[in-house]
Amino acid sequence: MISPLIVTLVSIGYFALLFGVAYYADTRCNSGRSLINNPYIYSLSLGVYCTSWTFYGSVGLAATSGLDFLPIYLGPTLIAFTWWFLLRKMVRVSKDQNIVSIADFISSRYDRSSGLGALVTLISVLGIMPYIALQLKAVARTFDLLISPTTVAEVGLQDLFPVLPGYVDTAFVMALVLSLFGVLFGARHLDASERHEGLVAAIAFESIVKLIAFLAVGVFVTFGLFDGFGDIFNRFAQQFPERLSLFRLDTEAIPYTKWFTLTFASMMAIMFLPRQFHIMVTENADEKHIKEAMWRFPGYMFLLNIFVIPIALGGLLLNGGDTSQADYFVINLPLAAGHPWLALLVFIGGFSASAGMVMVSSITLSTMILNHLIMPLILRLNVNINDFSAILINLKRFGIFAVVFLGYFYYRVIGDSYALANMGLISFIAASQFAPAVIGGLYWKRANKKAALVGLILGFLFWFYTLLVPSFVLSGWMESSILDLGPFGIGLLRPLQLFGLTGFDIWSNSLFWTMFFNLGAFLALSFFCKQKSDEREHALLFVDAYAETQVPGQRRRISKAPTIMEFVELMSKFIGEKPANTAITAYLQDQEINSRGSMADHEVPALKAFTERTLAGYVGAAPAKIILDNYLSTRGSEMEDVFDIFGSVTLSRTASRDQLSVLYEAAKIVSRGSDLDKTLNGLLNLLMQQFRFDLCVIRFLDEQAMSLVVRAQMGMTSTHFGESERNLDRDTYIGTTFLSNTATVVNDTEYLDKLESAQIIHREKIQSFAHSPIIVEGEPVGVISAFSRTSKGIFTDEFIALLNNLARQVGIAWRNHQQLVKLLSAREQERDLEIAKTIQRSLLPAGIPELSNVDLAGICVPTHAVGGDYYDFIRRPNGALDLVVADVSGHNIGSALIMAETRTFIQAMRQIEHPYAMLDELNRFFCEDLSRADLFVTMFYLQYHPQTGQLLYANAGHNKPVLWRSQSGTCEMLDGDGLILGIKPDIDFEQRECILSIDDILVLYTDGVTEAEDHNEEFFGELRLCALIEEYHHLAATELIDQILEQIRIFTGNRHFIDDVTLVVMKVIHQNSLNIAAKQQTIK
Amino acid sequence: MKTPDSTSTHEAWVLCLILGIIMLNFPFLQIFNTDRSIFGIPILIFYFFIGWPISILVIFLFVNRMQAKEPDKSRDEGHK
Repeated sequence: MISPLIVTLVSIGYFALLFGVAYYADTRCNSGRSLINNPYIYSLSLGVYCTSWTFYGSVGLAATSGLDFLPIYLGPTLIAFTWWFLLRKMVRVSKDQNIVSIADFISSRYDRSSGLGALVTLISVLGIMPYIALQLKAVARTFDLLISPTTVAEVGLQDLFPVLPGYVDTAFVMALVLSLFGVLFGARHLDASERHEGLVAAIAFESIVKLIAFLAVGVFVTFGLFDGFGDIFNRFAQQFPERLSLFRLDTEAIPYTKWFTLTFASMMAIMFLPRQFHIMVTENADEKHIKEAMWRFPGYMFLLNIFVIPIALGGLLLNGGDTSQADYFVINLPLAAGHPWLALLVFIGGFSASAGMVMVSSITLSTMILNHLIMPLILRLNVNINDFSAILINLKRFGIFAVVFLGYFYYRVIGDSYALANMGLISFIAASQFAPAVIGGLYWKRANKKAALVGLILGFLFWFYTLLVPSFVLSGWMESSILDLGPFGIGLLRPLQLFGLTGFDIWSNSLFWTMFFNLGAFLALSFFCKQKSDEREHALLFVDAYAETQVPGQRRRISKAPTIMEFVELMSKFIGEKPANTAITAYLQDQEINSRGSMADHEVPALKAFTERTLAGYVGAAPAKIILDNYLSTRGSEMEDVFDIFGSVTLSRTASRDQLSVLYEAAKIVSRGSDLDKTLNGLLNLLMQQFRFDLCVIRFLDEQAMSLVVRAQMGMTSTHFGESERNLDRDTYIGTTFLSNTATVVNDTEYLDKLESAQIIHREKIQSFAHSPIIVEGEPVGVISAFSRTSKGIFTDEFIALLNNLARQVGIAWRNHQQLVKLLSAREQERDLEIAKTIQRSLLPAGIPELSNVDLAGICVPTHAVGGDYYDFIRRPNGALDLVVADVSGHNIGSALIMAETRTFIQAMRQIEHPYAMLDELNRFFCEDLSRADLFVTMFYLQYHPQTGQLLYANAGHNKPVLWRSQSGTCEMLDGDGLILGIKPDIDFEQRECILSIDDILVLYTDGVTEAEDHNEEFFGELRLCALIEEYHHLAATELIDQILEQIRIFTGNRHFIDDVTLVVMKVIHQNSLNIAAKQQTIK
Repeated sequence: MKTPDSTSTHEAWVLCLILGIIMLNFPFLQIFNTDRSIFGIPILIFYFFIGWPISILVIFLFVNRMQAKEPDKSRDEGHK
């Protein structure tokens, strides 16, 4: 027994110490040297998990049921393996979103739903308020034990200070003190997202105290009262052999299912209990601390548990196996052994455990109640208050008192009962209900609001039915028939054997059914329900928390947007002027502000998002959304999705997909269209359809005029604006775009620096526009432009990227078109050539006329392109033979037709007797046609009279035929004056004549023979031809031609001739000699 | 640090978690669920109080390995 005065004084001293620690931490924080910003403090502060339920209750459990206190610590050790990704992601998201509580977290993830926030708050309050009652009870009980350990009945302060009113007992005072602590540490100022350094420091300090206290009593019992671990176990085994099941699992008290349930529930509790969330996530100063806490915190729990079993066994041994006071062995053992100071230390340790939990829980719950129950209500009611910030902070302070005192009244009303003793686990299972919504929300994009809401509601209902109802029954406040027979006697609905599931303990039964319905509904509805785009955006902020670029808000604009100052005023109303100014200053530092102190149109949504985020730090995400929405709607401002202005495309985080779809459409149009204009109109149409522009224009460079000429245009009917050409200079935006080969964007046409453009644009009332160069293989060929008359600031970077891509597609279409044109002309030419070739071939003589004293042969070797070569033999009735060789200039149908005409003319006019006359007639006939067609013909015309050997000939500018004289063995060139046909109408053609003798060889040819080139670009020439004829004069005409062709091929080194090669050989022979030659051949 | 950890670290943590859950549940625990004892301490309790610090050690080693991979990040931890 210790004097109450001493206990009170020590307690007060400890309060003062705690406050000193907190105050010191706050001062350090204000001076910029944070005390808590290190992994040790962070790890220790997580010790708020270990409440008085741990401190006293673990020993109680170990003494009565056995090892089931262990999973409460093993679970968190296991889940610590996931902290580096799970907890870190929660921290990252919460910092990004200014999230302050688990309710805020879940509500923010699911479209800032007020309903979800309220639901989570409700579950938390119902689940945790009794837990607070448990803490108060523990402190009050141990206080009373200290001052009068013998009295089991509660004495409390009443006996000591009889002046106090009847309702004031130890627990009441404790509640008062702890509420005060909560307010002092957690609600001195408003911003909840700002870390409470003092609170965290105090919690960490308390964690050390409770560890030291517990270790001290553990060492005292194990090594003071007994002789080490082995001794305790041995003595226990001897004294209570029937209780050895305390060291076993799979017993009646602890089946494996219960073991698993406890492990799972504590894994979830450490993550999702509101106070754990607050300390682990909201108060986290640096993500890197998580890494350290991952092993330090399990280590802390391990140390705290080493002596639990020894103390429990020691207590049983010393109390003769009586378990009724097992929960207080920790404090009773040192008291009974006469060590009141140790007991006092234990009391302080237990107090620390309770105080930490009560303070953090009350602050957290108060924040949640304020943000998710009261704020939405105030905002819905539209209460007109000028300065919310003062009211909010007072509401929060009041909330802390309210939560603690609700716990107190719960304790007073319900007292010692099953419901209270098991409140710890009941709240663990309540916290487990948040798991699907939180974990699913962090890793699964499709998890949606409806799913989370229904899942949580079902989980909550089943939690209530399978845990709270039975605990009420077991505490005696409800008919026990509901447990035994089920409600209304329906056996299937018995809470502990729900739907006929028997063989489970109460915890496993509850966990199974709550999770079955919660998780089941969550998964099923997420699968089958669609998210709205807004909701999806918020989901991405959570799931893709690590994504580098986040451009929320860019896809929207605000009509009648508030100015920066108006946003600041709005914030001031809720959070006070100073914080508002600080926040906006920090924000504007990285923003571009134009000369007039306002922001670009597309920056405003970002500012709105910032305002909302800042407010969320104070009042929670859902209320912040309501505040902003209310504010904007009363101003008449509206958040418009870019969707509204831009049609079906949203330029946002998901823009890449939409951009792709536009580009895909564009590519489809490009690949479909063969007609350039149709393609361009299709592309512009797409642009106009997807985005609400007033005008879209495509201009291409006209290389002759050196100006940009409109090729396609869609939208606005003003002819002047769209149709006008733009010179290729830097005086206009379009010219600049083309010349610099980069896009130009003007988001507000009030600021233009090019006079020429400004005039047109202002006249046409254009608000904003963008030009992008159309580039083909790196070179600009034109410009695509988009103009808006209605909105400023609609050209975001994403849109410009899209426009550039579209310009590239236009470029592709343009290039395709150019190539197509080329291809078509090539094809036409090819067809031309084919016709020409056919004509040409049909013109050549089908056979060689058989003459008795002349050996004749002729050949025309056409090249792949059509040539204009022509030769012919014409037999006259008088026995004479006309030889014609001609070359028409040009290589197309026209020349082929001329040749055909020439042939027809010659064939038809064979009554004309003399070669010169023939040429003369031809020239007269064709001159006009030829000169009109820019064509001309060279021709050599000979007439041979076999009877006389006389050769008449005339030349119209053709290559001179070679005549080899057999007598002299030399070559002569035949020539006659005369111009090319088609030059002028009247030409005098000279006619010459000579006499051929036997074995003379006449060779007619075209320039393809003499102008054949070798590698050195040297012509084959007439000399080589003469030499050849000389050498091979003995050959027959056909063989001679073959030989000449072969020699030309050898000369050029190519099997194919570049130009047409035409050769006609006439060899004068005896009538007999031919026969002799034929006979010789037959003999051979 | 902006980028999430490499998948392998991520997977290793999950693997450890699964292993831990297996080792702390039926049927694995059944191996130690006997009346035998070591140094007078029931073998199940011995198992828990040896296995627990070992798992903490595993986390510790893992964390240290992670820190070794990003030395500069752990250095500026102290004075941020």
